[in-house]
Amino acid sequence: MKPIRVLVANRPRLMRELVMATISDQSDIEIVGEIHEESEIASAVEQTQPDFLIVALEQHDRLPEFCQSILQSHPQVKIIAIAPDRNSSVFYWASLRVQSNQIEASEAGVLSALRGKSRPVARIQ
Amino acid sequence: MGSKTKVFIASSNRLLRESIVRILAKRTDFEIVGAQAICSTTRNEIVDSGAGTFVLDSLEFFLNAPILSSETGVRNRLAKSVLVAMDDSPDDFLMAIRHGAFGYVLQEASALDVVSAIRTVAEGEAVCPPRYVRVLFDHVAKQAAEFPSSRKRMQTGLTRREQQLVPLIGRGLSNKEIASHFGLSEQTVKNHIHRILRKVGASDRLSVSEACQITRLGWSTKSTADAV
Repeated sequence: MKPIRVLVANRPRLMRELVMATISDQSDIEIVGEIHEESEIASAVEQTQPDFLIVALEQHDRLPEFCQSILQSHPQVKIIAIAPDRNSSVFYWASLRVQSNQIEASEAGVLSALRGKSRPVARIQ
Repeated sequence: MGSKTKVFIASSNRLLRESIVRILAKRTDFEIVGAQAICSTTRNEIVDSGAGTFVLDSLEFFLNAPILSSETGVRNRLAKSVLVAMDDSPDDFLMAIRHGAFGYVLQEASALDVVSAIRTVAEGEAVCPPRYVRVLFDHVAKQAAEFPSSRKRMQTGLTRREQQLVPLIGRGLSNKEIASHFGLSEQTVKNHIHRILRKVGASDRLSVSEACQITRLGWSTKSTADAV
């Protein structure tokens, strides 16, 4: 079975590496790259063609601008955004209009989203 | 093989907590004795768990949980603290040390840094980001200048307050200015200065600085015979 390809680009570094530690233990999920700088994300997406991109969410429930253009140019890419606050929360964009903020902020929640077991819903504009 | 390090992990960030548990569980020298979100019972849970080291991602909780820290600087012997995912703030770092932290790991550190910090702290050492060593040196040097040590007191016979007054006298500040600086009355300052003159053997306030040779590393007192 083809592994789920993930590009990891969330901040801060510690949270990124911990997320990677979780993902790298999964046989059905493959990390195709780790990005340190936001400016490098778009080109890395172009180069690696991931199924998922994991980023940091600066503002709750609001997709970073650079992610909007990625979703437009690479509609196959889904985005998981992790808020780097003390009670970390996780959001999931399957497209610009389809999202979920019901992802459990846990290892199981992130893995479930990566495996397509979460249920993103159409966003009410 | 030595006994395992018992570690308790307290973090309200579940993802962070579970991930740290995951990476520690892969090491043979750690035993996770507890992992939970921070709540009102966390303090007791840590104590009851028998953990030798606890990992915490909340400075606020650390500062407000008395058994985990100490405002007097006497470090808790029950469990040693490693603060992780900390903001890059030298002030927070110094505050954490004052309250008894043994490890301080920034959010821009690596996952391996966390493992290494826990291990090092468990072995009885302290850990901080390399560039914060300079912060620590500067802080200690500043403290030494502002609050001369008890050793100096032994050498000079001056009390801590009297030692604090010496540099200001040397800078030519008036009694009123010195009183204002320390929030004292002028009469109290006069009394302090009178005692300083007597102790260092100086004939007037202008001679105090000379009697108490100020150096970068601290200051020493000439003998009374020299000063007179």
